[in-house]
Amino acid sequence: MSHAKTPHVVDARYMVPPEPFEATMEMLDTLKEGEKMLLLLYREPHPLYKVLRQNGHDYEVEQVADGTFEILISR
Amino acid sequence: MQAGMAFENAPPFIAPLRFFLTAPLFAALAGLLIAVDGGDLFASRWTPGALAATHLITVGFMLQTMLGALIQILPVLAGVDLVNPLRLAQVVHLGLSAGALLLVAGFLFGQPVLLGLAALVLCLSVVSFLAVVMRAMAGVPSTSPTIRGIKIALFGLAGVVGLGAALALALANGWAWPLPALADLHAGWGLGGWAGVLLAAMAYVVVPMFQLTPGYPVRPSWWFPVVMLAMLLAWSLAVLADWAWLVRLSQLVAAMAGIGFAGLTLRLQSKRRRARSDATYRFWQLGLGSTIFALFLLLTAALWPAAGDIEGWAPAIGVLLLAGGFLPFIAGMLYKILPFMAWLHLQNCGMARVAAPAMNKLLSEADSERQMRAYFLAFAVLLAAVIFPDWLARPAGLLFALANGWLYWNLFGAFRRYRLAEADIVQKLASK
Repeated sequence: MSHAKTPHVVDARYMVPPEPFEATMEMLDTLKEGEKMLLLLYREPHPLYKVLRQNGHDYEVEQVADGTFEILISR
Repeated sequence: MQAGMAFENAPPFIAPLRFFLTAPLFAALAGLLIAVDGGDLFASRWTPGALAATHLITVGFMLQTMLGALIQILPVLAGVDLVNPLRLAQVVHLGLSAGALLLVAGFLFGQPVLLGLAALVLCLSVVSFLAVVMRAMAGVPSTSPTIRGIKIALFGLAGVVGLGAALALALANGWAWPLPALADLHAGWGLGGWAGVLLAAMAYVVVPMFQLTPGYPVRPSWWFPVVMLAMLLAWSLAVLADWAWLVRLSQLVAAMAGIGFAGLTLRLQSKRRRARSDATYRFWQLGLGSTIFALFLLLTAALWPAAGDIEGWAPAIGVLLLAGGFLPFIAGMLYKILPFMAWLHLQNCGMARVAAPAMNKLLSEADSERQMRAYFLAFAVLLAAVIFPDWLARPAGLLFALANGWLYWNLFGAFRRYRLAEADIVQKLASK
């Protein structure tokens, strides 16, 4: 799956916890320097935010009309 | 890179568990009270038995589970870390349990001193909770409808408890206040502004997460808590100014907002990707259907006040909203949240070296479904008891007590298996 913001997308909207967290961590490991990935979820993943901050990743969050949170994470 | 989930700051599992394992006992007590009191309890909303049974459910069951769940889940829902959550849980749990018992005893025995003490203990418990949680949430921006909803619900909690304490003192001291209008407003703040808004804020997260439905659309989910708050403020103003038309108008809009939320949730559930209908799904279906029915009765009475005087109308709204709505919503969530939190704690305990047992080993779906069927039967008989109180009140009370006792047994069983699994993991780690 690709998205206008980045080709690296984890669509976790129909995954059960902790799969979204695991899939995001796996994809982050495959990104090269300067690349970004997009996580799609129907909620804000605050525990993930904490791990991202601890590991020095920047992220931006936008909620779109259907309720999806688009979380754009920098490598 | 850190591979584990960031739950190192999550409160110990026992913090919410003490609430979850006490709450069903209060609901069972409500059932026993109905069984003892019989049909008299349904004669009016104002009988001591009806007031006591209502508060066993609202304070003993609902407030316990809601505050316990918030202490556990605020780090996950809002990224908020509470200061000393275990101590907070101990204080609030003790205060709510003692306060609920004092309040119920005050109603049943008509003792002013017990009502005054209950007001004091419940106020102190809730103020302690609000002080810690509001301080933690003060700097948190409302980046999601869930966070906004929780903030508004906390305001609603202050409203319902403040009004409740004032009513208890007015009853105890025989003050000449317009008690029926204030009691309606107290119920509105409790069931709409606090419980209803909090339920919606939680639903935005847990319904898509556990039932694999689409998400709640942005616009209604941001607006629902605000509309409820605005209507309760308007209702409060109307009571102060003695404007009956504004009381009815605000009830009407609040009921329509509630029906809108419940209808939207039903629509999302119809698009879910989980094929099996588990106990949580069925409990929520009952809760949503029953809430819609109750709110239509409320809406009808707002448009045509004479309907509210029909015998059984107000007790039917109470049974539909509490036994048919909030209790099933909460039981359904407990069946997901409790094994999930237990599993998370076991996973952390195993430190990626020893695997935690699967969630359905901690609480089997078959056990949850059997209890759910018993609860559905109890609710059906309780609702019928509103129409035939002399025949059905006692069996309905017994069935309700049994179904809630069974809920306790299932939750306690999950806790017991959690403790066994924890000991097993510690032993395996030591021998590695």
